[in-house]
Amino acid sequence: GDNDSNIYVNFDRTPEIYGKMVIDKATAAKFRLEHFYKSQVSECADRLNRLRNLEGKLSNEMAPPDKMEKELFLLGKKESDFLRLRRKRLGIDDFINIKVIGKGGFGEVRLVQKADSGQIYAMKTLKKSEMVLRDQMAHARAERDLMAELDTPWVVQLYYSFQDSTYLHLIMEFCPGGDLMTMLLQYDTFSEDITKFYIAECVCAVEAVHNLGFIHRDVKPDNLLIDQFGHLKLSDFGLSTGFYKTHDSSYYQRLMETTGAPFDLDTVKAIDLSFTQKDRIQTWKKNRRAIAYSRVGSPDYVAVETIRQDGYTKEVDWWSVGVIMYECLVGYPPFASQNSPQMTYWKIMNWSEHLNFPEYSMSWAAEDLIKKLICEPADRMGANEIKSHPFFQGVDWSSLRTIRPPFVPELQSITDTSYFPTEDLMDIPEQVTYNQGTIDEMHKDLAFVGYTFKRFDYLSRKNAI
Amino acid sequence: MSFFNISKLGRSKSKKNQQKPLFVAQPFISATLVNGSLKKIVELPKYVDQNEWLAVNTFDFFNYINQFYGVIADFCTTKDCPIMSAGPNYEYTWTDNQKKNVKFAAPKYVDFVMTRIQNLLNDESVFPTKSAPGCEFPKDFINILRSIYKQLFRILAHIYWSHYDKILHLSCEGHLNTLFAHFICFAREFDLLDKKELAPMSDLIAELEYQMK
Ligand SMILES: Nc1ncnc2c1ncn2[C@@H]1O[C@H](COP(=O)(O)OP(=O)(O)OP(=O)(O)O)[C@@H](O)[C@H]1O
Repeated sequence: GDNDSNIYVNFDRTPEIYGKMVIDKATAAKFRLEHFYKSQVSECADRLNRLRNLEGKLSNEMAPPDKMEKELFLLGKKESDFLRLRRKRLGIDDFINIKVIGKGGFGEVRLVQKADSGQIYAMKTLKKSEMVLRDQMAHARAERDLMAELDTPWVVQLYYSFQDSTYLHLIMEFCPGGDLMTMLLQYDTFSEDITKFYIAECVCAVEAVHNLGFIHRDVKPDNLLIDQFGHLKLSDFGLSTGFYKTHDSSYYQRLMETTGAPFDLDTVKAIDLSFTQKDRIQTWKKNRRAIAYSRVGSPDYVAVETIRQDGYTKEVDWWSVGVIMYECLVGYPPFASQNSPQMTYWKIMNWSEHLNFPEYSMSWAAEDLIKKLICEPADRMGANEIKSHPFFQGVDWSSLRTIRPPFVPELQSITDTSYFPTEDLMDIPEQVTYNQGTIDEMHKDLAFVGYTFKRFDYLSRKNAI
Repeated sequence: MSFFNISKLGRSKSKKNQQKPLFVAQPFISATLVNGSLKKIVELPKYVDQNEWLAVNTFDFFNYINQFYGVIADFCTTKDCPIMSAGPNYEYTWTDNQKKNVKFAAPKYVDFVMTRIQNLLNDESVFPTKSAPGCEFPKDFINILRSIYKQLFRILAHIYWSHYDKILHLSCEGHLNTLFAHFICFAREFDLLDKKELAPMSDLIAELEYQMK
C-alpha cells in the first residue's frame, strides 16, 4: 500500500476525555510492553552469549564431538527449563509460612520458605482493596517493574511478586538483622562513630536509588533493614504503602484544613522543658512501634516541602536522612510529639523554631551536617556535598560495604528471627487469611492483570534451575 | 475444532468508495517501538525445545494482548460493538449446537475466548509448568496453539478496526503496532495462522513487513 502510506493524517489527541483510570491503564500497558521488549532483546543476547561461551570453551578444550554435543544439549535443556519457569504461576501455596516478622501500615511481613527449593524469603502481603481505593495501581506497578530491574546491594531485592483475589504478595530478600527502628529502640542512642557508619550507609543507599532515577519518599528507620552481615539495605519502595500515606496530597490538605494551628505553642514549649532527654526517649520509645503499625504512619521523617505540598524532588530523601541522624544521636527525632501527628506536622512546617539540639548530644560536625539536611530544599546539601562533609572524615565511600559493621547479627539458623519483635506481632495470624468466598473469585480485575514477576538472573546464579 | 467462524460480507465490492482506516495512514502506520528486524527475538534459539519456546511466547502474547484489550475494554460494550467484527467486511460468529451461526457482541466474544485461552494456559496437561518428568506437552499442542493464535489475531483486528481512535488518543499506536508485528512475525515463523485469517489486516501487515525487513 505505497500510495496510501503517503497520506499524512493529523489527529488531535485529547486523552483527557477518557479520565484517569483509562489513562493510567494505558500508561501501565505501554510501560510494561516497553519493558518486555527491552528484556526480550537482552535475554536473546544473554542466551547467545551463554552459547558462544560454551562453544568457545569446548573448542578450547578440543572436546570430542560426542562430548560437545552432550554439553550443548545440556545447555539447551537448561535454557528450556528457564523458559518454562517463566510460565510458572507462583502462588501462596508455593511458600511455607514460618513466622510473622513485621507489620507496616497496610500489610504484614512474614518469613517464608519456598517449598521446592527450601530458599528463605521475606513475604510482604498487601490487601488489594486498600490499594485500588487509592487509585495508585498503575503507577505502583510501573514503579514496581522498574524496581525489579534494580540490582544494587543497597536496596532489598525483590524476587517474585504475585497476586490472588485478595492480596498482592511480594517475595523479597530476607534481612535477618531486623531494622534500624528496632535497633534504635534497643540502644536509645548511638555513639558518633556508629552513627557515622549507619548514616554513611544510608547516604549510599539513598544515592543508589537516586542514581536509578527514583525518589524514595519514605526513608525512615523502619525501612532501613540490616542484612546478615550487618550492612544496611533500603527496603522496597514504590509499592511500600508509605507511598499512599506520604504522597496522597489531599491527605495533607485535609489535615492542614482541619487542624490549622490550634496549638498554643508556648504551652507546648513549656511542657517540653519539663522533660529530660532520657524521659523524652522513653516517651518516644513507648509509642514508636504503635506508630509504625498505624495507618497514619509516622510523619516524623517527612520533609517540610512535602507537607507544604510544594512539590518535591529527590531532596526530600536527604531531609529524612537528617532526621534519622538526629534520632541516632539524640534518641528521638527532632519534631517528635506525644501522640499527635498533627503537632509533628506543625513543628515541621515551622522547623526552624523546633529544631533544637540538646546540650552535649553531639559534636559540632554532626550538628552542622544535620542543619544542612534539615533545612529549606534550596539550602539542603546533595550527595556529593554530604559525602565530603567533615562529619564523614575518614570514611572510604567506595569500600563501605566491605568493612565490618559495628553490629553483626549472630544467627543460629537461616530462619532465626531473634532480631524481630515477634512477640508484639502475636495477634497476626501465621497464615495469610482469606474471607470465605473470595478464594475462588475470578481474578479478572484488569488493574492487576499481569502482576507477576520473577527474577531470572538470580535464579540461575543460585543454580535454582 | 473451532466454534468461531469468519464470514466475509458481500456488502461492498467496490473498494474505491471505502475509506481507509486510520491505522494504515501515516504517520501511525510507521509508529513502532523497535528498530530493525524482529527475526532475532522470534526464531527458535539453538538447542532450545521448540514446544517450550512456543509456550512461553504464547503466554506473553496472551498477557500483552489482554492488557491492551484492557485499555479499551471500557469502550467495547454490547451497545457500541454489538457484533464481533474487524471492519465493515469481516465479522466473527459463533456456531451453536444446531450448526446455526450466532452473532455475539464483541465484549462477550472476547470474554469467552480470553477465558478459554486463560484456562488452557492454566491447564497443566496443555501447558505444563512443573519440572518433574512426565510433565510434557500434548501431542496435538500445535493444533491447540493454532486455535489460540486465530482468536488472539481476531481480538487484535477488532482493536484496530473498532477502537483505534482511543489507541491514538492514548498514544498507544507504536506499542500496538510492535505487538502486532511481533505476533504476526512469530505466527509466520511457526505457521500458526491461516493466510485467509489475515485478510482484514493485510494492508497493515504488508506495510509492517516492509518496514521491518
Ligand atoms: N525484606 C525484609 N527482611 C526482613 N524484615 C523485613 C523485610 N521487609 C520488611 N521487614 C520488616 O517488616 C517491617 C515492616 O515492613 P515494611 O517496610 O513493609 O513496612 P513499613 O515500612 O513499616 O510500613 P509501610 O509499609 O506502611 O511503609 C519492617 O520494619 C521490618 O522490620
